[in-house]
Amino acid sequence: MKLLLTGLNHRTAPVEVRERLAFEEKALPEALDQLKRRPGLLEGMILSTCNRVEVAVTADEQADAGSAVEDFLAEARSVERGWVSPYLYRYDGSDAIRHVFRVASSLDSMIVGEPQILGQLKSAYALAKERGAISGFLDLLMTRAFNVAKRVRSETEIGESAVSVSYAAVELARDIFGSLQGTRVLVVGAGEMAESAARHLRRAGVAEILVTNRTRERAEALAAEVGGRVIDYEGFHATLPEVDILLASSGATEYIVTRDEMRTALGKRRNRPVFLIDIAVPRNIEPSVNELESVFLYDIDDLEKVVDTNLRGRVEVAHQAEEIIREEVDRMVLRMKTREVAPTIVNLQEQLDLWVKGEIERQRSKLGRLTPEQEEALEAIKRGIVNKIAHGPITELRRQAADPAGLHALSMIRKLFRLGGE
Amino acid sequence: VIIASIFWLRVATCFYAVGLLHSMLALVWRRNSLYPLARATFRIGVILQGVAIIDLARATGRVPVDNPYQTLNLCAFLIAVAFLAVEWRYHFGSTAMPHFPLVFIMTLVAALERPVATWTDVRVRDTWLVVHIVFVLAGYAALLLTAVASIFYLIQERRLKSKKSRLLERLPPLATLDNVISTSMGLGFLLITLGVVFGVTWAFIESGTRWIGDATVTISLFTWALFLAMIYLRASAGWRGRKAAVMALVVLGCSALTWVAHVGLRPTLLR
Repeated sequence: MKLLLTGLNHRTAPVEVRERLAFEEKALPEALDQLKRRPGLLEGMILSTCNRVEVAVTADEQADAGSAVEDFLAEARSVERGWVSPYLYRYDGSDAIRHVFRVASSLDSMIVGEPQILGQLKSAYALAKERGAISGFLDLLMTRAFNVAKRVRSETEIGESAVSVSYAAVELARDIFGSLQGTRVLVVGAGEMAESAARHLRRAGVAEILVTNRTRERAEALAAEVGGRVIDYEGFHATLPEVDILLASSGATEYIVTRDEMRTALGKRRNRPVFLIDIAVPRNIEPSVNELESVFLYDIDDLEKVVDTNLRGRVEVAHQAEEIIREEVDRMVLRMKTREVAPTIVNLQEQLDLWVKGEIERQRSKLGRLTPEQEEALEAIKRGIVNKIAHGPITELRRQAADPAGLHALSMIRKLFRLGGE
Repeated sequence: VIIASIFWLRVATCFYAVGLLHSMLALVWRRNSLYPLARATFRIGVILQGVAIIDLARATGRVPVDNPYQTLNLCAFLIAVAFLAVEWRYHFGSTAMPHFPLVFIMTLVAALERPVATWTDVRVRDTWLVVHIVFVLAGYAALLLTAVASIFYLIQERRLKSKKSRLLERLPPLATLDNVISTSMGLGFLLITLGVVFGVTWAFIESGTRWIGDATVTISLFTWALFLAMIYLRASAGWRGRKAAVMALVVLGCSALTWVAHVGLRPTLLR
């Protein structure tokens, strides 16, 4: 068995690529089923957020899992494999484990330490489990990843000094409006990101939060959560002139606020500044809106650039976290191997036993009838040969199981003794 | 009859002064409570100004546009009537803010046609002049603040637009700068308007009717009108950012020119 992780994130791919690759929430179950059906793949899991799309799989040793996953991504999202390939990173073995731990601990996030990613990872895990796409090693890996994230959070200050995309947005709003008291916010879309951002804005003291969503129930739930007021999705454009901060995070596939609509709204509000935060992927607000005077439009990539500077101050904290991750990766590699060492030892003994027995049976007729004592002696020879041959490899396996770098001995022994893929 | 006409005109100016007060309140303190009263006195002012013009026309037997005063008077009257007509027809009173000061200043200048007895006490003359200068200089200071804040606004706006990190961390938020601009601009306009009123009346008492053709007066009044236009564009069309910064710099430049033009007057002033 081998572990492989393929994906792209905000560092390797621009938002234009990410929005093409991102899976819609309702398309995920079907995608997981497709992934599971790919030949050679044993388990699979898909994480799709606005900043990253990642596919983790376990596969047979012989299978070309890398190609299988890339083909899957290209087919599932209807893009050319050659187009998406340059944006992808591929990790296997301990590198893949490290990556999963870093993602879960929010060390790989756009804003290091932001807490949403863990929730998103948990949802992805739950869905994969529900679809039966996870059963063995990935299950173990994810459960461990959640523990690692918890450890990083409690043992370092990463969570305390952390800013999230939403927090960065609030800081920018302060640069525009000074105190946020008296400002009116409109939240379009009712996802997790919207909720977090709205909560930050509420805490910053905004006067009113209006919430709208295609599904009214979700808008109502969010409004109750952040103390906002629900307005009709169909009529939300009419409120634009009174809105100082617009937070767009809806799943709409085309622009819900266009340049012309914004220009009209600006005229009505006499050019008073307006802050548009577009944290949706695909984007919700026509990008050229930013060219209008008194309009400040930030999409998710812009927010990254802004907070990048702030992040440099967190390098120290991140170092501590990386130390924890390193420790945990070693431990996980060990578990991964010991998981396979025991079956390998059994396999090895069975295989040798089979070979010796086969050879004896082949020559047995030439020995004539054997007495019970002779039979016993033959059995002893057989056991002796098996034990003698197996002793070296088994000792080596046990010894190397304790050493994180010794992952290769396992597969080498399996190969030498023709122990098969699994 | 001419004396009666001037009298009515001076009374009309007093009525128009309430309108000026309203504009100042609206600009600096954003209060509109005086508007109903200002509108009523403005209407009375228009009637009185009309009476003055008709008196003059009957006395001279022709339309009174014989000199700059009379022309200015008629012009102010027509502007006032136009404002009232629009306000009555469309219930559109939001242009009162620039109209009231404009009509007031024009009528004030027009009402200074007939010379009065010159200064009885030289101390009154000097104090009057000092008050004028102090008002104008304080107004310039406020205007300078407006211009600086406008440039800061422009820089901060560019930074937010370009999405660069916070290189100029100490720059205040846009809204704060916007408040500074609004307040300093309103205050500056109030001070300079008072300065103009004091200056015009001083010149009138000092030199009778000769001052109207003076280039320094013309440039002063032009600068004042430009200031009024800037304030109006900002309040109505919401001019911010680059446009507002350019406008503030232009007004500041004109103010500097006005100042330079007045430097040559020093020997006269210190007579």
